[in-house]
Parts: sequence; structure tokens; C-alpha cells
Amino acid sequence: MIEAKEIEKYYGSKESRFKVLKGVSLKIEDGDFAVILGASGSGKSTFLNVLSGLEYADKGTVSYDGMDITKISDDKLTEFRRENIAFIFQQYYLLPNMNVDKNVKMGADLAGNKDYKSIIAAVGLGEKLNKYPSELSGGEQQRVSVARALAKKPKVLFLDEPTGALDEQTGRQVLDYICRLKKEHGFTIIMVTHNQNIAEMANTVIKMNSGKISEVYINNIQKNVYEIGW
Amino acid sequence: MVVGIKDAAKLFVISIMVCCAVLVCTMFLNFNMDIAAIKDEITSETVMIFYNAQVSVAKVVSAVSGGCLLITSIIMLIFYIKHYVDIHKKELGILKALGYSNLKIAKNFWIFGISVFIGAVIGFCMAFIIMPLFYEIQNEDKILPEISINFHMELFGYFVIVPTFVFALLSIMFAYFRLKEPVLFLLKDNLQVAAKSGKHKKDKESKEKDCLFTDDLKSSTLKSRKTLTFFIIFASFCFSSMTQMSFSMTDLSSEMFAVMIILIGLVLAFTTLFLAITTVVNSNTKTIAMMRVFGYSQKECCHAILGGYRFISYIGFVIGTIYQYVLLRIAVDIIFKDISNVPEYKFDVPAMFISLISFIVIYEIIMYCYSERIKKISIKEVMLEY
Repeated sequence: MIEAKEIEKYYGSKESRFKVLKGVSLKIEDGDFAVILGASGSGKSTFLNVLSGLEYADKGTVSYDGMDITKISDDKLTEFRRENIAFIFQQYYLLPNMNVDKNVKMGADLAGNKDYKSIIAAVGLGEKLNKYPSELSGGEQQRVSVARALAKKPKVLFLDEPTGALDEQTGRQVLDYICRLKKEHGFTIIMVTHNQNIAEMANTVIKMNSGKISEVYINNIQKNVYEIGW
Repeated sequence: MVVGIKDAAKLFVISIMVCCAVLVCTMFLNFNMDIAAIKDEITSETVMIFYNAQVSVAKVVSAVSGGCLLITSIIMLIFYIKHYVDIHKKELGILKALGYSNLKIAKNFWIFGISVFIGAVIGFCMAFIIMPLFYEIQNEDKILPEISINFHMELFGYFVIVPTFVFALLSIMFAYFRLKEPVLFLLKDNLQVAAKSGKHKKDKESKEKDCLFTDDLKSSTLKSRKTLTFFIIFASFCFSSMTQMSFSMTDLSSEMFAVMIILIGLVLAFTTLFLAITTVVNSNTKTIAMMRVFGYSQKECCHAILGGYRFISYIGFVIGTIYQYVLLRIAVDIIFKDISNVPEYKFDVPAMFISLISFIVIYEIIMYCYSERIKKISIKEVMLEY
């Protein structure tokens, strides 16, 4: 279980210092599909970064099965991410000088996953192993990023606006891949989005506004990606 | 202003190299010109042999060190401008898109000539400061008649004015050449990568091996920037050749020569290594940040980004060792062959070991400093820059 308690986060210094997260608390069960929903500037991406250990909180704790990651050193935190976490970002962040195979291998090697090519095939890029990111469309690049994250066999998958840069059809395809692979592997998903429709796919929906959680609710019926609006 | 003084200041490595080149060349050629004035006063054949040897040494030293440093400076300048255009290609692309001509943008690059001017002036002045001592050592046995130091305006022209203009012109020309790319290539990074990757795709496909990602990245980092590989070889070459040569110089020539050579060698080695490794780390910050996000340790990041250069630097060391031996062998066997009392020259094994151990220790300390720098790369800042 992931538990955040009274998280506070500031940006800037002195006069320009401002509070981005204002005492956020949350619990996410293992295997959950949680969506953090909020407008631009609501603090949802910062919260995701703190939850995933990409950034330290200024106050409060984030614990994974009782282990507080806000108190461990940067090296330990890197080790923690290595063993537990994977990311999918809106901008993909692929390595431009590496082909599809090597970009996915980046994640696979960390988990000792020799069978990572099956994941590339599962996201529909089996024929494009030797292509470079610049030779792929946005949707294909995002699928590489999905394969890279999943090849790592994470316990928790963090997604920051994964469909933000994609058109509707490609966006639906990418989410479909992720959901299918989640069913198969059973990892926890925590996704940040501003798209209210995507929230209908999630089990838990966390609404954020001005650095605070304004609402948390459970979807009794989770829609699949082709049932939601866009 | 496309290029500012601050950008030119970053070229201090070239300033240092030019300074060393001008210092050595000015000192030796000024000496040559001054002793030419007393040639008529030489009547003895032995003294004439000594005179000719002095002239030959000055010419060889000026040509070898000056030429070597000049070529390296030109390569560094071209490398820096290429790097500068790569980093600022979006701004330059916008200027082109707005209608600025390539030449108009390229003209701003003249400012890099200032780095050369500063280095040349400092080197020229330093040469005249050291010159009294240098003249005294060159003629310490008083074999030649009294040599007075004269200022030769033509040397100032050759070593300060001409290099400044040539380097400024070279900067403009190279920038002009680099800016010839289509606007879209400058505005969009991906297009350039696509063009480059397409060229080598077949090779890569055929050479696909089942090795670790970090090893793939190590070899890709090495292959992607061949100029940096050259600089790292050059840095270790300078360290190796100049330190070992300075040990031998103590016996063959004088302590002053030894100190001068070791200083120039160390300055060249460190400045070049600094430029090369800093560029390697800076151009890989995004990759490092992404590796850290996924959980690669600092050690793994350093292995992938910097590890490939270790072997390369040892190659540079070996080349430097061979080079200094061959150079001194030639000097002793050919240039000093007619001169009596020249000590016998043998390969200095202890000097080689001292130099090698120092090299390993210093190289590892530098790599440690850079690994600490890699540790400090802010994941968030890098991601925001993407």
C-alpha cells in the first residue's frame, strides 16, 4: 500500500516561494488503478513526482508498505525506484540516439528481463525494433515508452498525462495497451490527467485543486477505453 | 546578439593553447632572430656548429609545439562552434526563419577571435618576461657572443595579429557552413537525428549484439562524438609525452626546459580533458536524468557515459610515450650528432612509471569529480528542459 501523509511542497525561494502541495494525504491499495485529476497548476504532477520519489517532499511522509521514502538518501531512493517503479511521461523522454530495442532494453535490464521483445511486440512495434524515436510517430513513441516502463516489471506504474500529446485514436490505443498489460501483470497504476473522461476508467479518482485533494471517490463501474468519451 | 562575450569566454581552453603556442614560438624565434644578428661575429667552426644546432632546435621546437598547438586550437574552435550551433540551433533557426541570412548570423561569430587575441597577447608578453632567463640559459657556457633581446614587430604580427584575424575568419566561415542546414533541421532536433540514424542503420542492425544497455550506451556515446574521443586521446598524449620528456630534458638540456615542458603539457592535458569531459557530461544530461528516473545508480550512469573513455585515454598515454621517445631519439641522433658532451639518451623507465601512476591517479580523481557532478544533475530541471 502507498500512503502519503500531510505532504507539503514548496517551489522558489524567499519572496517568490510558494506552496504547491498543501498537506496532501492519500492511501492507494496494491493493484489499484488511481487517477489524479485536476486542472493545470493544481499540483497533480508535483504530487505524482513526490509519490514516486522523483522529488523530495518538504514536509510529510510517503510510505510504501510502511517504508518511508522521504527519509532515505538519494542513492537509496534511486535503488527503490529501480526495484519498484516505472514511469510513462507525456513527452515520452526516449533516448534519441538509441533505437526502439535499446530504449526498451533500458528498462528491461533493470529487471533482468530477457524476454522484453515480447512486450515490444505486444505494443505493436515488433517490426520497428531498429527504428529510432525520430523515425516514429507520436503514438509509436509513446508505445515505446509504455514498453520501456513495462519491461521493467514494476510494482507501481506512474503515468503523467500519457495521452496529452496524442490524438484520440492513438491515445485510446496506448491506454488500451496499458490496461491490457495491467490485467496481465497486476501492477498498481497511478495516472495524472486533466481529462475527466479517462477518470471513468479508473477504480479510484482523486481530484486535486490548488495543491489540495478536493475529492476522492471510487468508480463502481470501470469503463474500458473505448466506452469513455474523449 | 547571437554570440556574446560570455560565449567567447568559454573558449578559454583555446586562449590557453594559443598562449602556450605563442609563448614557445615567440621565445625561440625571437632568439633565432637575435642570434642571426651576431652570426657574422662567429669565427670558430665549433661555435658555428653550436650556433647551427641552436637555430635547428629553435625551428624544430617552434614547428612541432607551435604547429601541434595550432592544429589542436583549430580543431577545438571548430568543435566548439559546432557544439554552440547544436545547442543554440533553435534560436539560430528562428533567426533564419525570420529572414536573417546565413552570412549575417555567421558574422556574429567573429567574437571567438577575441579568445585567440587574449591568449596570443598573454603568450607574447610572457615570452618577453621569460626571455632574459631563457637567453641566459641558451648561452650559459658563453660559447656565443653576447646576445641582446630585441623586439621584432613582425613576430607580433605573425603571432598576435594574424592568428586573431585568421581565427575570427575561420569562426565566421565554419558557422556559415553549419548554418547552411534547412531551417526545419535547426528548429527540430528530431529531424537531424533521423537523418544521422538513417545513414548508419544498416550497420547497426547487422552488428546487433546481446549486451547490456549500459554497454550499448557506452559504445554509442563513444561513437557519437568522435572529436571528443580525439581530445581525450590528445589530453593523455600531452600528459604522457610532456611529463616524460621533461624528465629527460633535465639531463639533455636544462631544468628550465624541463619545467617549461611539463607546465605546457599539464596545462594542455587538463584544459583539453576538462573541455572534453564537460562536453560529454553536458551533452548526456538528459540521458543521465532518464537513467536516474528509472533507477540506474550513479555508478552505472558513470560507467555508461564516461567508462568508454578510460581505455581511450590509456591509448593516448601509450602514443605519448612512444612519441616522446622517438622525438628525443631523433633530436639526439640527428640534431645534436655533431655536438660534443651531449649525454647519452635512453628510454627512461622510472619516468614512464612515475608518469603512468600519476596519470592513473589524476584521471581517476577527475572522473570521481565528474561522477559527483553527474550525481547532482537535477532530474526535474532536465525534464523541464526537454
